[in-house]
Amino acid sequence: MELEQEFTPVVLFHIGPLQVTSTIVDTWIIMAIISVAVIVLGKRLRVKPARWQNALEWVVEAVDGVIRDMIPENPRLFLPIVGTLMVFITAANLGGLIPGLKSPTSDINTPLAMAIVVFFSVHYYGIHEKGVIGHLKHYVEPIFILLPIELASELARTLSLTFRLFGNILGEEIVIAVLFLVLPYFVPVPMMLFSIFTSVIQAYVFGMLTVVYISGAVRAHA
Amino acid sequence: MGDLPASDLFIIITVLLSGGGIVAGVIVPAIGQMVVARSAMNAIARQPEASDAVNRALILSLAMLESLAIYILAVILILLFANPLRQFILGG
Repeated sequence: MELEQEFTPVVLFHIGPLQVTSTIVDTWIIMAIISVAVIVLGKRLRVKPARWQNALEWVVEAVDGVIRDMIPENPRLFLPIVGTLMVFITAANLGGLIPGLKSPTSDINTPLAMAIVVFFSVHYYGIHEKGVIGHLKHYVEPIFILLPIELASELARTLSLTFRLFGNILGEEIVIAVLFLVLPYFVPVPMMLFSIFTSVIQAYVFGMLTVVYISGAVRAHA
Repeated sequence: MGDLPASDLFIIITVLLSGGGIVAGVIVPAIGQMVVARSAMNAIARQPEASDAVNRALILSLAMLESLAIYILAVILILLFANPLRQFILGG
């Protein structure tokens, strides 16, 4: 079945016991593109920004604005993780539009890895801000009966982060592939344009939910 | 359909269920999204200055509702492409 092979990652080679799939190689390519772009653009920073520096500053300010709305106390502390997630997911989703590359996020392992990073960083920042006791206490507030529900929601939010990103990007790719099988070359183009929109929205949603979860652990009354 | 081999029957039933399932599974979150979007429009129309806060809550709620449809999609993709029970029927 051709369509099936299109969506399962291929094992390219092995490093010791580890399988290196096409997803990982695509991720490396996208990481290299982001890194080179940011290093080149960040080389000559000026107080009065030129064209590309303006674009970079806009990205940083947009992410900072999202965090500042939710956590007004010290938003800069969370800028690195949320910004990294948003920029990487945007680039990874859009990478699927480059011929020969596939979105790494359409392999379930990539979203799962990022959701696990979010899971641990929520606890890290919670302990960092409120101490171990203070962080654990919000599971039994206002009443201890809520403890199982809180624990279940910890699991459910990780799973839902994973599946939302994975399902959206994979669904988009399947629709494009099916349209391409039916009527190649011109009919998939509107769908590909729409997938640019979906890619950016999904990255925004992932970052936003990360901020919401972190703010739930960090803020005193939440 | 009685004289069809079990493998053909399996594939036919899987495809029928997948098609029906995705339709049923998308309608319900779509109705939910409709309600959310309509209330957000009303809220923005009443208080345009609150549109930033409304937008944020709107996108969050839409993402939450959307994940319901995505769960259905994941289940159906598993049914179609990676059904763990397939080996008992198709013997592969």
